[in-house]
Amino acid sequence: MTGLSTNLAPARAPLALALMALAFVLLALSGVAFGSTWIPIDQVTRVILGAGEKTQNLIVLQLRLPRVVIAALAGGGMAAAGFLLQKITRNSLASPGVLGVIDGAALGVVIFLALLSDESNALVTSIAYQPVAATLGALAAISLVFILSGRQASSAIRLLLFGIAIAAVAKAVTIVMMLIGPIYRTSQAARWIAGAVNEINWSEIQVTALAMLPLLLLSLLAARKLPPADLDEVSARGVGLDLPIFRVLIFALAAALTAVSVAFVGGVGFIGLMAPHLARLLVGRNVYAGLLGSFLLGAIMLVGADLIVRVAFAPIEVPAGTVTAVIGAPYFLFLLMGRQRHDG
Amino acid sequence: MTSSRPMAAALPLPVVWVGLVIALLAAMLMSLTLGFKLYGLDQVWQALFAFDGSETAVVISNLRLPRAVLAPLVGAGLAIAGVIVQTLSRNRIASPDTLGLNAGASLAVVVASTALGVSSLLGLSMAAAFGALLTSFLVFAIAAGAGGLSPIRIVLIGVTIAGLGHSIVEIVLTTNEAQLQQLLFWLSGSFVDRPMTLAQTGGPIILIGAALALLLHRALDALQADDSTATSLGVPLALVRGGSFVSVALLTGAAVSMAGPVTFVGLVVPHAARRLVGLRHARQIPAAALLGAIYATLADVAARFLIYPVEAPVGAITAVVGGIVLLVLLKRRAA
Repeated sequence: MTGLSTNLAPARAPLALALMALAFVLLALSGVAFGSTWIPIDQVTRVILGAGEKTQNLIVLQLRLPRVVIAALAGGGMAAAGFLLQKITRNSLASPGVLGVIDGAALGVVIFLALLSDESNALVTSIAYQPVAATLGALAAISLVFILSGRQASSAIRLLLFGIAIAAVAKAVTIVMMLIGPIYRTSQAARWIAGAVNEINWSEIQVTALAMLPLLLLSLLAARKLPPADLDEVSARGVGLDLPIFRVLIFALAAALTAVSVAFVGGVGFIGLMAPHLARLLVGRNVYAGLLGSFLLGAIMLVGADLIVRVAFAPIEVPAGTVTAVIGAPYFLFLLMGRQRHDG
Repeated sequence: MTSSRPMAAALPLPVVWVGLVIALLAAMLMSLTLGFKLYGLDQVWQALFAFDGSETAVVISNLRLPRAVLAPLVGAGLAIAGVIVQTLSRNRIASPDTLGLNAGASLAVVVASTALGVSSLLGLSMAAAFGALLTSFLVFAIAAGAGGLSPIRIVLIGVTIAGLGHSIVEIVLTTNEAQLQQLLFWLSGSFVDRPMTLAQTGGPIILIGAALALLLHRALDALQADDSTATSLGVPLALVRGGSFVSVALLTGAAVSMAGPVTFVGLVVPHAARRLVGLRHARQIPAAALLGAIYATLADVAARFLIYPVEAPVGAITAVVGGIVLLVLLKRRAA
């Protein structure tokens, strides 16, 4: 953990959170306003409040708003998952991406699509099961990482390498599975390779939101017990916590949050790493504030990344995940350089 | 480091060499005969040595033959690069992929061809080699700044740089409206639909890289211990390191310009080579070259059948195998 976060007084957390929320609202509004035709922000708010004209209603409600909403949910969910993982592993380099969770989830979805589509590419089951498939894949990946790493899991960097190896295998299998499927799935492939938030519809958002809400509530409940996990296992047992079961629960929660986030968006890297970090710097060590701040920052990051690709590359749809990777990878290297502790 | 040849008693060296060469020839023959359509040996013979313009002959000489030649070249190049990188960094999980060299090379090729308009094969190969060299400097510089060249740390940095390279490749290709096929090629590598002319440019570069590596074999032997031992044996460290990196860059660059980043070949093969012929580089390098050639050729054949009738990218197959080998190495604490 970085030492910087401890210097901030907890009293500043509410202010920081309020500013983040404000920044998020402004960014989301401009995310809706910007596009092939610019819609002034006051008209955007009018449409959202239910008093816009017909064409603007269509553009905002059917094309732009879904994109912003799914980006906010997915970014926030991955960031919350990253926060839980960094807390429970006491490893500031942990994140859903490097622990293989994102690629595991993507593999789960691609297998689900390959097995349960009929000849005409229509799903034979409800789309609501897609997050379930993603969750199964994510759980399988993170379990494999921890089972295989065994005692080496206590070394932060070694654990990550196990995750990277699992992620590489899952990604390769995902590519093969994509090629097995008919063209429909192949044309969606970019989403699974890099993560993109375009072409989302409201039913997918509904499924995501309904799945994510209980997970976030559970995370908040579990967060109450997170600080003692900063202690070593013996002291934690001393204060009455059964650490192994609690750890497994948190890992499962983080995997499910990640899976639900990426189920329709595809793998977006590095948000689960960066957002919790910055959140700790901005709001300090309080876990509730940290979790909330991570969610807000994650949402800001993905909505922002999507806005960047739309502004910079229009009219071509570049996956938003490439932008988070281009910003996130140097950030990760920077964190790595800051660690002088030798745990290789 | 344990004994110099774990399997020495079991297999005399001449048997190993003859066996490897026969296996390579058999693999290349499989590559010519097996695929979407199966061809007999007589048809292959006819297409290669008595070309009559029939459809079968055209398919074999235009589609199958380039693959049967390119796959061994690429496999050998990546495997030798793997041996050198593992020796130089004294790191058993180092390889052109885990150091990000493959990704750096493919980024350089994609940028050179789309932004700079380079289209000659030689130009692209040189761009790839340059990209690999630059990436290796970057990785080692960051690792040195990150408080030490511990094997795990270097690999973590290399993998991150590789991810960064892949993302930029993806941005460049999507903004140029490339097809998914092309995207998958530059993200995972493949031998499908490559012209034979690639081998005429890439082959000599691979040979030069391999010759440079063989030239340095004694120095590389000495480097396996530690720097001070090597210096006391009269090895000019800077010169050897520089030469080795040039060799790695040429080998990786040529391999990537021929097939895209075929992942983890350079990680897996050196381990097998060491088990077979021991630690001396005079033997390790040729053994790795042969094993790498066999491995890449067989992986290419497997790629044709994995999801028949569609072809899988060969890089996906080597990634699965390589990922599992990496897990085993980590588990055994080889790094």
